[in-house]
Amino acid sequence: MKGAWSEEDRRHAAALAATYAAAAALALLAAALFILAFGGSIRVAFATVLQASLGTWGGFAQTLNKFCPLLLGSLAVAFGMRGGHFNIGVDGQIYAGAIGMAAVAFGLEGLNLPWPVFVPLGILGGVLAGAFWGLIPGVLRVRYRVSEIFVTVMLNFVALYLVDYLANGPWNDPLAGDAITVPIPKSAVLPQMLPKSGGHMGPLIALAAAAGIYFMMSRTIIGYEIRAVGDNPTAARFGGININRITLVIMPVCGALSGLAGAIEVSGFHQTLLLGLTGPTGAPNYGAMSILIAVIGRRHPLGVILAAAVFAILMVGSDSLQRSIGLPGSAVFVFQAIIVLTVLYVEARRQLST
Amino acid sequence: MSAAPPRVEMRGICKRFGEVVALDRVDLEAAKGEIHALLGENGAGKTTIMNILSGLYRSDAGEIRVDGRPAPIRSPKDAIGFRIGMVHQHVELIGNFTALENILLGHEGTGWVLRAESQRGAVEEVASRYGLSVPLNERVKALPVGIQQKIEILKALYRGADILILDEPTTMLTPQEVDALFATIRKIAEGGLTVIFITHKIKEVLANSDRITVFRGGCRVGTVRRPEASRELLVQMMVGEREFPAGAGRPGAVASSSAGPPALSVRDLSLRNADIHLLKDVSFDVPAGAIVGLAGVSGNGQRELAEAIAGLLPVQAGEVTIRGRSVEKLTVAARIALGLVLIPQNRIDEGILPSLSLAENFVLGLHPYIFKRSGFFEQGTAHEMARIAIRDYNVLTRNERVPSAHLSGGNIQKVIVARAMALFRAIGGGILIANNPTRGLDIMAAAFVHARFREVREGGGGVLLISEDLDELCSICDRILVIHSGEILGGFDGPDYDVYRIGELMAGVRRRQP
Amino acid sequence: MGFVFDISLLQLTMVMMAPLIIACLGEIIIERSGILNVGIEGIVTVGSVAGFLGTFMMGSPVLGCLTAMMAGGILSLLLAYFAISMRANQIVVGLGIFVLGLGLSPLSYRLAVGVVQSPPQIKTLSGVPVPLLGNIPYVGEVLFRQNILVYLTYFLVAAVAFFLFKTPLGLRLRSCGENPRAADSLGINVTAMRYGACVVGGFFLGLAGAYLPLLITGTFTDNLVNGRGWLALMLVIFGRWMPLWAFLGALLFAYVDAFQFKVSSLPQMAKAVPPQFLLMLPYVFAMLVLVKVASGAEAPRALTRPYDRESRE
Repeated sequence: MKGAWSEEDRRHAAALAATYAAAAALALLAAALFILAFGGSIRVAFATVLQASLGTWGGFAQTLNKFCPLLLGSLAVAFGMRGGHFNIGVDGQIYAGAIGMAAVAFGLEGLNLPWPVFVPLGILGGVLAGAFWGLIPGVLRVRYRVSEIFVTVMLNFVALYLVDYLANGPWNDPLAGDAITVPIPKSAVLPQMLPKSGGHMGPLIALAAAAGIYFMMSRTIIGYEIRAVGDNPTAARFGGININRITLVIMPVCGALSGLAGAIEVSGFHQTLLLGLTGPTGAPNYGAMSILIAVIGRRHPLGVILAAAVFAILMVGSDSLQRSIGLPGSAVFVFQAIIVLTVLYVEARRQLST
Repeated sequence: MSAAPPRVEMRGICKRFGEVVALDRVDLEAAKGEIHALLGENGAGKTTIMNILSGLYRSDAGEIRVDGRPAPIRSPKDAIGFRIGMVHQHVELIGNFTALENILLGHEGTGWVLRAESQRGAVEEVASRYGLSVPLNERVKALPVGIQQKIEILKALYRGADILILDEPTTMLTPQEVDALFATIRKIAEGGLTVIFITHKIKEVLANSDRITVFRGGCRVGTVRRPEASRELLVQMMVGEREFPAGAGRPGAVASSSAGPPALSVRDLSLRNADIHLLKDVSFDVPAGAIVGLAGVSGNGQRELAEAIAGLLPVQAGEVTIRGRSVEKLTVAARIALGLVLIPQNRIDEGILPSLSLAENFVLGLHPYIFKRSGFFEQGTAHEMARIAIRDYNVLTRNERVPSAHLSGGNIQKVIVARAMALFRAIGGGILIANNPTRGLDIMAAAFVHARFREVREGGGGVLLISEDLDELCSICDRILVIHSGEILGGFDGPDYDVYRIGELMAGVRRRQP
Repeated sequence: MGFVFDISLLQLTMVMMAPLIIACLGEIIIERSGILNVGIEGIVTVGSVAGFLGTFMMGSPVLGCLTAMMAGGILSLLLAYFAISMRANQIVVGLGIFVLGLGLSPLSYRLAVGVVQSPPQIKTLSGVPVPLLGNIPYVGEVLFRQNILVYLTYFLVAAVAFFLFKTPLGLRLRSCGENPRAADSLGINVTAMRYGACVVGGFFLGLAGAYLPLLITGTFTDNLVNGRGWLALMLVIFGRWMPLWAFLGALLFAYVDAFQFKVSSLPQMAKAVPPQFLLMLPYVFAMLVLVKVASGAEAPRALTRPYDRESRE
């Protein structure tokens, strides 16, 4: 009797659904309290969130545009966590990817490449730059036993100031103002998926990346080895797995995923390199959100896709709440953190009772 | 009966862990001045009931009385209040603290400022009363296990314990240290204290106890006074009506040491950590078709030796060859490919991937071989292999998809042994290094594992069996080496071993005393 | 070269050192009990907004500091609950709290202040020279012409070091971080010790946050903390979980920070080196230092390991 769903699987799925229902309910409750505190109407607020993010083509396109960096960023965290590595450097890696894209765009401008060559080349530049930014903590961990948590955090600030320098210095557009570069050439711009509403192709690329990660994790030997190292590095080592090698795979891949996000932000969304593309200190704080999404999505590509979609809706919706009732954008963080803590709470509860 | 009530009395104690019943309505009593032994196999419930008495676990049902009065013990603190002290099997000391700090911890005296020196006198007084001299200013992690155990006992006595529980106190000691330990215990009991010691060694019980309570499968089988006890009686009580698997018994002659290189050859292996020699010029061979045992008190370099051979620890000097091929600078994986399989000492920390499925655990290490052709991880293959292993090794589990952390310790060990044997076949044999592979297994399962080792020998492979249990080694090994402080002090050929001489070497006594 | 030992540079170093070491002391107390708090950046951020708002709304820096300490204690308590009672993964929960703090701070700022044209200001604390000591040339001028919180910092370093290594309570706290089972079997309440360490450590983290608006900026901005919490977390490793070593480390980090601040204000330097590269300096320096010290540092043995009395094996 080996059906697709055993009794045990069913119970597991039910418990999982209950966990997330409880988390969502608690976060909604908290959200309602905040809205009341800002003098808004709860019904109107929730309607506004949905209307703004999904109700119009423009809003939907915006939601998709946010979904892209959120999904790639949280994949970059979740992938690392599966292998026992904590990547807190998504922001820095996004910046690195953005720099890589911009460098290709500005550097090869004179060649007049057609977009089917220029765009992939630029994105490749971003991916490689991100991978390099991820490789640094990998090498330091392997070579000097330095925790990747610290190095990735510190590199966020280094990347931030690097972009600050580039966008104010050599690549600055004096007409646009501070901390922004001249626009990238038209042929380096990622084609639009929803041309009328301003949605670019990025989300499709991100979904493809998620599928790739899923396949790698569940169907390849290296994916199995990464999961083994993440679950118990000592046992993995006894089993002949070279942990340093795994680290040197994981960290650059994390960086490449975030770097891809940065490249798409430049090529598809902003079409220029600017400060304020992401955190670590200001909105949109993709790095911090990616950590939350990775945890809520249970570090699994499918879960991460779902959680990133919810977060994208919340982000776009809360932007409009900011305009209508003055609820700050950072409120989203608080709801999201509440979801995370509730999920952790219910999971820990269940662990304790077995 | 006008006799005084027993010092300790436990009635109807029950305890379950999840679905496992660890104790089923157990009664126990111990008198003042008595040395009371709790005898049973692993998992019989002896440690569990003592953990309840010392407040570490809470019983699900039952009552404890001390001196006839109810003693509600809910935490170690309560137990200390009833003057109950326990020394655990694996010493619970804080390695980075000095011996004195360990003894004073939780009992530092009054005042806001730590005045360790002013308490020193009191500690030394207790120490000299029971002949437990220990270096109080040394950091505990630098001291040998025997001394650490003395510190544990001193710790309990300093707290005024007059019911002293010792859990398997002799597993890590040499025969000579064991003698000294029991002399101390006798002295303590003569001072009017009650000593309860847990063991699975019948010899110790017969030599050193006043009364013996035997446990089996979470139940008390019975209590006998020592004069009425005999080896046969105790074995029967411990084991019950069971058949022993065929083939258990004395080792045969070395199957063959025909021409060809030894399965494993180690020459002048040295390993240093700062100034401490962990291994010093270790040289030995494991011939093909032989089981070689490595005897020694735990912590004398066995673990380091196994890990150095496997490539998990870098060495300073020496050469290791597997089936005639040098492994110098090869990775763990490359050594496995040459024919080396290691069963690690600590099954939970080193053996399993707790949240991965049993099937995914089963292929760890094997995966480069079974998936080699495709490069992809084939779940179907892994599950098929795991199902076969579950059947052959009688692993108790619902199916091969459950996370391995859900299995009991004994079943995890079966999975690890099954995996090692499968890997050994996959790479075409060579040398199997097993570090305490039968710890925590019941007699049947241990015999099953030994039978697998014999198969390796029959098949022309070599086995290096590292064990703290000298009886185990003597029953299966063709040759026994003794390690002490990282040095091989001697080798003995079977099948008849001079156990006392081996014990001397385990204690580091190089020459026979005149 | 005189610039390197300039008095005002060293005075600024002391000012920059205080929040780092206060946060670091809090983290040392927490980690010594066996809990790793990677939410420190978020907690310090909440401390900074609480300190600012408390001072701004109640008009007293003392009340501001107390508000910040309460806020730090409460967030830290949340971590404690998850790490101790729920036995959750401390790094994951810590990261959750990090993000929670990051969101909570601007939110509560907006909730309290609303949308305004010019951001509200509080008066930063001025220096209080110590009589006599402050007159010692050079050394006295650097060390004893400071604000009151810097003096408090000197005291706290000594007090925490004394507490950890010279009191019975400190011995017990450390035993919980090294081997909780041993501590428990001696009647020490591991749960209570760890909760206590988290809450008290949280007070320190909150105070470190309050220091920033009270002494450096006078306002609250989203990027006020700017990684100082993470730096403090690194300082714990640098100081090998010992207050005095961490103090030296904090001086070093603060000196680099003060150095980049002073250099960028020199007109001839601003031309030569873009200011962004000077701003990177503390973070690059932190990484280099970590490379040097990380190997060989010995953490409390039970760090990040939840304690379950009834767990077997």
